[in-house]
Amino acid sequence: MLHKTDSNAILFVGAALGLFFIGGLLTTVAPPLIDKSWNKPFENHDPSKGPTGKLVEYTDQEMRGYKIYIREGCKYCHTQQTRTLASDVARSGWKGVPSPVSTPDEFVYDYRQTFGTKRTGPDLSRIGGKYNKEWHRAHFRNPRDLVPGSIMPPFPWIAENPQELDDLVAYLQTRGRAKDWRPDNDYEK
Amino acid sequence: MATNAMGESMAAPAAAAPPEIHSDTTVKWFVLGAVGYFFVVGIIALIIAAKFVWPSFLGTIPYFTYGRMRPLHVNGMLFGWLLAADIGLAYYIVPRLCGVKLWSEKLGVATSILWNIIIVSAIFSLLGGYQKGLEYADLPTPVAVLVVIAWVMFGINIFATIARRKYNQMYVSTWYLMGTILWTAFVYLTGNFATLLPGVTGVNQANLTWMYTHNAVGLIFTPAGLAIAYYFIPRASNTPLYSHKLSMIGFWSLAFVYVWTGAHHMLHGPISQWLQTIAIVFSVMLLIPVWAVVYNFIATMKGQWHQLNDNVSLKFLMSGTIFYLLTCFQGPMHSLRSVNAIVSKTDWIPGHAHMAVLGTFSFITMAGVYYVIPRVFNTTLHSESIANWSFWLFMIGGLGMFTSLWLGGFWQGWQWNNPSIPFIDTVVALKPVWMVRFLSGILIFSGIVLFLYNILSTAIAGGQAKAELARS
Repeated sequence: MLHKTDSNAILFVGAALGLFFIGGLLTTVAPPLIDKSWNKPFENHDPSKGPTGKLVEYTDQEMRGYKIYIREGCKYCHTQQTRTLASDVARSGWKGVPSPVSTPDEFVYDYRQTFGTKRTGPDLSRIGGKYNKEWHRAHFRNPRDLVPGSIMPPFPWIAENPQELDDLVAYLQTRGRAKDWRPDNDYEK
Repeated sequence: MATNAMGESMAAPAAAAPPEIHSDTTVKWFVLGAVGYFFVVGIIALIIAAKFVWPSFLGTIPYFTYGRMRPLHVNGMLFGWLLAADIGLAYYIVPRLCGVKLWSEKLGVATSILWNIIIVSAIFSLLGGYQKGLEYADLPTPVAVLVVIAWVMFGINIFATIARRKYNQMYVSTWYLMGTILWTAFVYLTGNFATLLPGVTGVNQANLTWMYTHNAVGLIFTPAGLAIAYYFIPRASNTPLYSHKLSMIGFWSLAFVYVWTGAHHMLHGPISQWLQTIAIVFSVMLLIPVWAVVYNFIATMKGQWHQLNDNVSLKFLMSGTIFYLLTCFQGPMHSLRSVNAIVSKTDWIPGHAHMAVLGTFSFITMAGVYYVIPRVFNTTLHSESIANWSFWLFMIGGLGMFTSLWLGGFWQGWQWNNPSIPFIDTVVALKPVWMVRFLSGILIFSGIVLFLYNILSTAIAGGQAKAELARS
């Protein structure tokens, strides 16, 4: 049948779009209808079902920080997904406690997905609460002062702008905090 | 069967209409602009490669920070150079395959002007930090709207030309270009606009983004590049295409298989396992269209390989074919969960991506540009020797970059999988690799400079000859 598309442009257009739309619709429109966790915010109060906690919406300040994260292109070097790999779970952990894996329901309020494709710097999906604001200020001013060998660029225009620094740190402290996974609740502010 | 413009049997070399009916103004505008952006964005590419070696280089100026220059590098190379050059070559190929003039040169030139407005706005907005925040769809929405308008203008011109074609049967390059125009329209709308619909967030948005990102390569640059290769391999070698039937198998399997694979960008990540499995199955099936195409190209060259000695266009075309085979073998292999656990998110991935966009599609496109520019300016190439030098600079620089990133990335992934190695140690370990990548980048950039110089000199010489002809 496809032989006829050789000389019939209208048939060609129909076949090319038809084949495209089968896969296109089944892999984009159908999945969120089938897997409800894509759109339902995380909430769990039963410790037997894994980590407890609740995903809350961003505050205005956190949202401003989120926009700075987008503006500076942080996601080109930092992923935000603790994958189902033993090494990811260990690396996203803190002080010997492994972190839970990332699930779709933790990202429902993310107006711009920040999962990332390249891990030039460490993953940030569980960075929330690991370092305090003073650490972040010094780190943004010159990352190599705190982490020798780091190749992260300096961000003096953020470190020296109290408003932007507060906003960005507020956003970073939300990362991975929907799930309560630190046993002593020892999150930095 | 014997009625299309490539003759399918080139023994009767296409009752081709005399070449002077084509004014090719649009071709010149698009291709010369693209070659210029190749150079400009090449500078950006070198700067970001340098930043991996000297992280504070240009680092205290917000406009030149890595996170703003990287999207400019990606979008600039994809849309400023590669897609613009592909569009320009389409304006050359389609009228010739249809045996008629381009439907409207005026519309074509207007499209080119709009395209330049898009690229220049993209440069300023991305460096200013005004970006949408979605990889590959980084351009701010107003600029993305202009892209859609330009695409519709391009599509109308090409389809109207095809509708008035003299040869009833369409050659395979025409199918691929029609496919490119149709699929790109929907792929671009999905990545740039469907992702912004209310309620589309998180994983849902990521899934739409990967559908776009993956198909930006698979259903925009692949069919456009293959259209060019299908046209110029027979033309540059003066040999008929090996098999029409094989080209059909390649085309229709690509049309069906490619769009299913987006979720392989999030393997092991927070996206439904069954969707990951579907993406893996279809990713492996991609071997079918790829091997059908590559076999067709290689078989076309049977008995003709000696032509590679002194034909720079063919050198680019056949190296591009080999890189296509390799990059599209890597792709399906990366989608296997076990391999993915090692290479995903590492420096292996840019090695793979550069073999696709630079090694495969830019090589094929440069072959087309080297073939077309002397012909549309009615002259000969400024220097075959400089063209040959540019080929070897691209080849050696490209191989240096690809292989260093693969080896480094594989090593990096291996270290990541041992959590007792601190993350910063895996960064420090890659520093020699990034130095090799920077030095390879210098070679590639030198290739770009020679390419730009050769093409511009050819165009200027052609323009001067025409002016003298007009005076006498």
